Amino acid sequence: MSHDETLKESLTRNGVSRRGFLKFCATAASIMALPPSMVPAIAAALESARRPSVIWLSFQECTGCAESLTRSHSPTVEGLIFDAISLDYQHTLQAAAGDAAEEAREEAMKENWGKYILVVDGSIPLGNPGYSTIAGISNLDMLKETAKGAAAIVAVGTCATFGGIPKANPNPTGAVSVSDIIKDKPIVNVSGCPPIPVVITGVLAHFLTFGTIPELDELGRPKVFYGNNIHDRCYRRPFYERGEFAETFDDEGAKKGWCLFKLGCKGPITYNACATAKWNEGTSFPIESGHGCLGCSEPNFWDMGGFYKALSQPAVDVSQTAAYALGAGAVAGLGIAALNRKKKADVATDHQTVTIHDLRRNDPSKTEAEDS
Amino acid sequence: MSEASLERGIAALKEQIDAPVAAFFSSCTHCGMCADACLFHTETGCPTYTPIYKVEPMRRLWEQEYTLLGRAKKALGLSKPITEEELEKWQSKVYNTCTLCGRCSMVCPVGNDITGMIRKMREGMSAGGFAPEGLIGASERAVEIGSPMGVRLPALKAQIKHAEKDTGLAIPMDVEGAEYLVLLSSMEIMNYPEYLHAITRIFHQAGKTWTLCSEAFEATNSGIQIGSSDIAAELVGRVVAAAEKLKVKTVISPECGHAYTAIRWEGPNLVHKEFGFKVQHILEVLDELRAEGLLKTEGIEEAKLTFHDPCQLVRRGGVVEQPRNLLDMIAPNFVEMEDSGVMNWCCGAGGGVSANEDADKVRNKAFNRKKKQLESLDIDVVVTACANCRIQLEDGLEINEMDIPILGLTEMLAEHLKEDKPVEEETS
Repeated sequence: MSHDETLKESLTRNGVSRRGFLKFCATAASIMALPPSMVPAIAAALESARRPSVIWLSFQECTGCAESLTRSHSPTVEGLIFDAISLDYQHTLQAAAGDAAEEAREEAMKENWGKYILVVDGSIPLGNPGYSTIAGISNLDMLKETAKGAAAIVAVGTCATFGGIPKANPNPTGAVSVSDIIKDKPIVNVSGCPPIPVVITGVLAHFLTFGTIPELDELGRPKVFYGNNIHDRCYRRPFYERGEFAETFDDEGAKKGWCLFKLGCKGPITYNACATAKWNEGTSFPIESGHGCLGCSEPNFWDMGGFYKALSQPAVDVSQTAAYALGAGAVAGLGIAALNRKKKADVATDHQTVTIHDLRRNDPSKTEAEDS
Repeated sequence: MSEASLERGIAALKEQIDAPVAAFFSSCTHCGMCADACLFHTETGCPTYTPIYKVEPMRRLWEQEYTLLGRAKKALGLSKPITEEELEKWQSKVYNTCTLCGRCSMVCPVGNDITGMIRKMREGMSAGGFAPEGLIGASERAVEIGSPMGVRLPALKAQIKHAEKDTGLAIPMDVEGAEYLVLLSSMEIMNYPEYLHAITRIFHQAGKTWTLCSEAFEATNSGIQIGSSDIAAELVGRVVAAAEKLKVKTVISPECGHAYTAIRWEGPNLVHKEFGFKVQHILEVLDELRAEGLLKTEGIEEAKLTFHDPCQLVRRGGVVEQPRNLLDMIAPNFVEMEDSGVMNWCCGAGGGVSANEDADKVRNKAFNRKKKQLESLDIDVVVTACANCRIQLEDGLEINEMDIPILGLTEMLAEHLKEDKPVEEETS
């Protein structure tokens, strides 16, 4: 594949019709929450865009992210756009190995210095460089070196964005995220374990169309995909509002598709597009399969106290504790009331009747007045 | 006999703190709305006259004695005990600048009966010897002579003689089995004898039997004003004994505000029993007579007039419609003043303030509120139904050089009384 071939040319070469291409542009516009008037602009930009060089580095990861993205293969447009970029280095996918592979990376860097997109999946171990190396180069060194010439960095997956599972307590490798190390480049965090394929293609489409990275939230995630939490967009939300919860995975509530909050669903604190974009070509998302959200696109999701522990469920039986507290309160209240009542009864018993002769104090001047 | 002391005062206060008081103190949000409801605050601008602040020593005592936190604060010396100096200082707040008018209780957003608490606060003040001299004197006269103004039976008899002569009707005294026992206030006996004339004629025309009682003719109750339930009970007890002895159906409270409160509302609680007779204010009786067709009038009052609602009658007593029904009979030019009815502003002299010389200055200042209300109306006559309001209105208007006559509603009705029945010479 030539770097000079435009996306349009590449798509045509791959047998994608004009209609299919515009459909992709419309989809890209809608997932990025752009107005329909932007569709021609996207189309024009993509048609003339030179396929950018992409260098993909994999560090401490499970290849799940790459699986997720590559599995959205042709004929979907997500797959096609991958054909449309120039993926110059991806050690899972590339045919080359050993020195040849590293040379491909170095060459791509040299040719596209300052223009290539660096995609990273996996976290970087700081504990000991030897924990994870590629061709004898530590992850940290490789990241620093490759990041230098990148136009932008896309951290894919929760490991690259927030440290992910390698960082989970007790974090034996001293894993950190890309943004913990690289401070001088624009970084887009596409979190998720793994992220939704359309999200990464959307970010790339945005970059190709506007030459910039999309607007990000406070965690560096594209707002168009991570602007809503799962709970707010969940089709089971009405059950939550009505207080109808599944208590176990095989009870009546679970069968009726009630809210999974009590079964530990992290939907209310998880920001991602699962409930709207869905997975597997728009088939479903985890809650639709009857399992609560794990919160995989949030930092430290592995250490949030357990996947099956409800977000706000107290550790002990509420009704029992409340009953004890009520009982204790009532006893204390009755005790205090009894004391107070006794005190009042005592003063009432000791009441000395006030007569007109008791209205003055033993004050000489006043006694005089009384006498007169 | 013993003498007043701080200890007795505090014991009396402790005795007064009951569940409603505890609830009131707990629920006060310090919003300050009661301040603007009190004419002593609005007319002086003095923040220490904020009604709820007038019971601050009682609040502290409640906290120290009846709450957990208060006990702890007291033990740690964070909450200071009540001192003699403090209660002496509080006298002006509790007595001079409160007429127990009840306006603060009306506006309290959490429903605290602040007036009721000030009434309770006075229990402690009077038992502790912190009541003002004027009220102590009035109480002594009320108990010993039978009238806070020192009016004795011979003085009443003299007035009865005049009234019988003027009306040509006999005024019954100590008549057993009469329907009504009529009470009077000393103020009416000495300053407004027209009242006695008026009811004599009205009852004659209505064909109702009534009587005065030589042993209990005084309706006012200094015990209520000074805030001593013991003394108040002694005074109410005399009326109850008289009513029971004469077997009357109804006791009539005269044109006086606090007398009505004393007999109608506090009375049964003071003597700890249900009355075997009814208690009504004279305006309630007159309105009943009107409804039954037993009170007929002729002619109308040409003057443009307004009605000053006495606080104890309207706000604390609920007698709102009756005076208006009665005025409708004779006063086509009747106009309401602003805030009339249950939210009417106090004249500034009730609740013992008029009997307390220490309060003279602030009382006149507080009258400004009434002055402003009256000024905005451009009226010829003010009508009211409380001798105490009436004398304050007369005083206040005179000081402010406003020439507006004040009339009692009962006597005004009597002036227009349609007299169908012949007046026989019944006097002996």
